[in-house]
Amino acid sequence: MTMNQKILLAGIIFLLITGCGQNEQATPVVKPPTQQEVRETVPPTPQPKLAQVTAETRQTYQWYCAQCHGINGKGDGINAKFLTVPPRNHTKAEYLETRTDEQLFEAIKFGGLSTGRAPCMPAWGHTLDEDTIHSLVQYIRELCQCEAL
Amino acid sequence: MKNLAILILSGLLLSANASAGILEDRNCGSCHRLNTEETSLTAPDLHYAGNKFQPEWLKQFLKKPEVIRPAGFINDPEFLQGSTENRPVHPSFPEEDLNCLVESLMSLKIPGSTPAPTEPLSKGQQAKIKYQFERTFGCISCHQSLNLAGKVRGGISGPSLVNAGNRLQADWIADWLSSPETYLAKGRMPRYKMDPATLGQFTRFIMTLKKENIK
Ligand code: HEC
Ligand code: HEC
Ligand code: HEC
Repeated sequence: MTMNQKILLAGIIFLLITGCGQNEQATPVVKPPTQQEVRETVPPTPQPKLAQVTAETRQTYQWYCAQCHGINGKGDGINAKFLTVPPRNHTKAEYLETRTDEQLFEAIKFGGLSTGRAPCMPAWGHTLDEDTIHSLVQYIRELCQCEAL
Repeated sequence: MKNLAILILSGLLLSANASAGILEDRNCGSCHRLNTEETSLTAPDLHYAGNKFQPEWLKQFLKKPEVIRPAGFINDPEFLQGSTENRPVHPSFPEEDLNCLVESLMSLKIPGSTPAPTEPLSKGQQAKIKYQFERTFGCISCHQSLNLAGKVRGGISGPSLVNAGNRLQADWIADWLSSPETYLAKGRMPRYKMDPATLGQFTRFIMTLKKENIK
């Protein structure tokens, strides 16, 4: 390969693969992870359920989620400016109206990739139990003051 | 009464581990937890320093401290503000204290359980894990590491991993990734359930991150 071809190839790889670190450099082409690797388990269809938002829900959000989503859920946490895809602003009704509670639940439990979103949103299924995740979904509904359309 | 209990406790501790003396003398215990009886304070726990760190790195750090947690310690009240300026500088210690401090730190151990593989990664494995570090598991969202061009990249809520290969012990990394609760009752990092092979490869990958590779 000539130098120019190499640069071109690197450019193509760069465009194809963007990780979560800001301004990613080219990573050698590797097989994308299988569903199994990404989700680790096959998700059961979550039962729609109205969970309560308690003081504990808010604390959980502050402890884990605010690192990226920010103290007020506006998507401006301390990691935000280092990510290629910005953390979702949980106060924006226009977008969150378009997502069902189940989709939000899945994104939290299995990570962004599981619902066609960016991998910068990690999976919390091994950290938080399902009731807590349901209550976080309701808390996000509170933040956006919106429901699924 | 409480003071008496503390006195007896520290007496017991000193007799159990005489070399911990210098850590008490230099007041490390005012910020760091040095044994399992204490509760977590305002700085990372050191009661398992002997499991976690490489002695050479400890020596360097205590002589010329560097910032490891760009956003501060997870329990700091201002942690979520991300005020990276005006962070207090870690106390540094004179040359003649260093060997004794390091020896005392390395004697602080708790039982660990996950030995890491020793063989280095193949090129293919290295590329695969790097991809998973950045994409599948999103580790880079919270941890600084090095990209292929040798540039520092990544989020700041977790400790920087840029120099992890010089700083941490492989067995400890493997143990942290498989059972973090052994070391920290409640952290801010999500838990992962990796199969043992992936876990071993992640450990080897993290061990390749060294600050001399920064370009
Ligand atoms: C490491 C940073 C990070 C942390 C920590 C984090 N998120 Fe996210 N989150 C993101 C990013 C980035 C996105 C945007 C993904 C996209 O738009 O493709 C996101 C998106 C979301 C979404 C929207 C998914 C969608 O359908 O668009 C929800 C809901 C969410 N996060 C909830 C949470 C909750 C709840 C927590 C805490 C348990 C949390 N996040 C912690 C980074 C993070
Ligand atoms: C004023 C409080 C304070 C005192 C006193 C103090 N430290 Fe620290 N130490 C910290 C903080 C805060 C950090 C985290 C720094 C960072 O992550 O950037 C730290 C980090 C460390 C680390 C790295 C730990 C890790 O997990 O990354 C070691 C080792 C350490 N200190 C050893 C010592 C020793 C030994 C002493 C006594 C000789 C001491 N410290 C005294 C506050 C203190
Ligand atoms: C949501 C942010 C976040 C994500 C994602 C994350 N970590 Fe962490 N990590 C942290 C924080 C914060 C700590 C400090 C301990 C704690 O609070 O749990 C930490 C600690 C660590 C440590 C110990 C470092 C030290 O010096 O004490 C290692 C090693 C580590 N993480 C590796 C990883 C790997 C590998 C991944 C991906 C599989 C990952 N982390 C994903 C936030 C994160």
